[in-house]
Amino acid sequence: MKKRKRPSVWMLATAATTLTVLLSFQTPGPSSQPYTLNYPAYFGGRFTIPENNPMTQEGVALGRMLFYEPRLSGNNRVTCATCHQQKLAFTDGKAFSAGVDGTLTKRSSMSLSNLLWVRNLFWDGRVSGLEAQAVVPLTDPHEMGQSLEASVMKLKADGSYREKFAQAFGSGDITGENLLKALAQFERTLISGDSRYDKYLRGQYQPTAQELRGIELFMTPPSPQRNIRGANCGHCHGTPKTFVELFHNNGLDTLPKDAGREAITGQAIDRGRFRVPTLRNISLTAPYMHDGRFATLTEVLNHYNEHVQPSTTLSPFIAEATNAVDGKSLMLTETEKGDLLVFLQMLTDSAFVNNPDFSNPHFLRSTKP
Amino acid sequence: MSKKFCNPFLLAALLLISIAGHAQPKPSFRVEGEVLKPRTLTQDDLLKWKTTEVKGKDRDGKEHVFKGVRLVDVLDSAGVTLGGKLRGENLAKYVLVKAADGYEVIFSLPEIDPEFTSQTVLLAYEVDGHPLAKGEGPFRMVVPSDKKQARWIRELTTIKVVFSKE
Repeated sequence: MKKRKRPSVWMLATAATTLTVLLSFQTPGPSSQPYTLNYPAYFGGRFTIPENNPMTQEGVALGRMLFYEPRLSGNNRVTCATCHQQKLAFTDGKAFSAGVDGTLTKRSSMSLSNLLWVRNLFWDGRVSGLEAQAVVPLTDPHEMGQSLEASVMKLKADGSYREKFAQAFGSGDITGENLLKALAQFERTLISGDSRYDKYLRGQYQPTAQELRGIELFMTPPSPQRNIRGANCGHCHGTPKTFVELFHNNGLDTLPKDAGREAITGQAIDRGRFRVPTLRNISLTAPYMHDGRFATLTEVLNHYNEHVQPSTTLSPFIAEATNAVDGKSLMLTETEKGDLLVFLQMLTDSAFVNNPDFSNPHFLRSTKP
Repeated sequence: MSKKFCNPFLLAALLLISIAGHAQPKPSFRVEGEVLKPRTLTQDDLLKWKTTEVKGKDRDGKEHVFKGVRLVDVLDSAGVTLGGKLRGENLAKYVLVKAADGYEVIFSLPEIDPEFTSQTVLLAYEVDGHPLAKGEGPFRMVVPSDKKQARWIRELTTIKVVFSKE
């Protein structure tokens, strides 16, 4: 490198200001390659990618590095992947997760798949957009516990990141905003659409008789008057995405310990309501519910079938569903529960949990404490 | 700063206030989007309007009498292009109705406008002489001509008029 006269602090400050102004206009990087999202047509196109954060190969690659970057945490030992492990469909197998200070989170770590289609993130839907979502666990003192400014300082000390930010965003100036944008780009690529259920939907797999019974029960609202049996799961978990973006109180408690969506909206009718999560890879994401109270899917099915707790905000769609005339609960048989379980297992997407594009790119660096 | 919003004392205080019921605003819904006068309406507001009753078969398979106001009157009060103005590009508008649980359905304006249709889309607040039950009301859409009740949206919170951007 040629030796040059060192620029003055004033010049640097001016350059930094200019860059900051320019930044909002100059994403993505000039030589970056657009990233094409591939997803099954039956997922539909109802998603929005922010105009100021178009998907690029370089942005996604950087986001993947950052997702597995322990230096984004206060103690350099926690990454996004600590609570969102690929082999568990980006959950951590725990009811609650310990952050940098050892404090447990208030709610269970959510699976990260098909977030492209989720408009209101977290269990209570408090944030729109993955860019705005990412800042929360990064800076929460009980999760990764580090300000964006501190993360940026640490990344700046690593020359390779400067280059990657330049490739992704057209400027080697590492900023908190671009850090969040890159993470969001990576998370938008986490698409799970290659399970046995998908192969069935694409006509590439002939389900067993029990699987077919499970699919039918899952999607059907029961109507005992018309002799139609159903588990009514599809009301909230319908469509091939296996979630509809709804907030419901699913009858876990008569007096919910966690106010859920009510804490966001301030409306009493939202007490104990939580966002309906995807059931994709559900066999891998135990324990279940916002507080991880159920260890197995059998416990979940038993809950919906016979243990729904009444309350003023209990979803009427759950309260009203029954397979018996004047029945007070869902009243599925043990065989039917078994059929549903077999369907839920069809949602495991081994290509997703083994996709090398989603794995830890820091081959030589351990993310474990 | 996000930290300020996450202040646990503030959150706890808000929660206490809401639980105590002092700060609970009266249930209302919003009319917004491509309207001249966005508004928030409560049942007290609707009680001053002309009421309409319709009969319709609900999910239970039984016929009920629903009382409320016509959706067209709600839209008209907010200055939506209806009647003589429902022509040209205005025919590419739709009405997105949202519920508290996030459920969403749409209507086209001609499905609601009596100059186009003889069906009544009702914004109901009573059924069979009683206020709508919890989980159903205080506001619910009733569309008697729909054979399925999927658009009879419960706990209605927002009516948004939107231009198709296609």
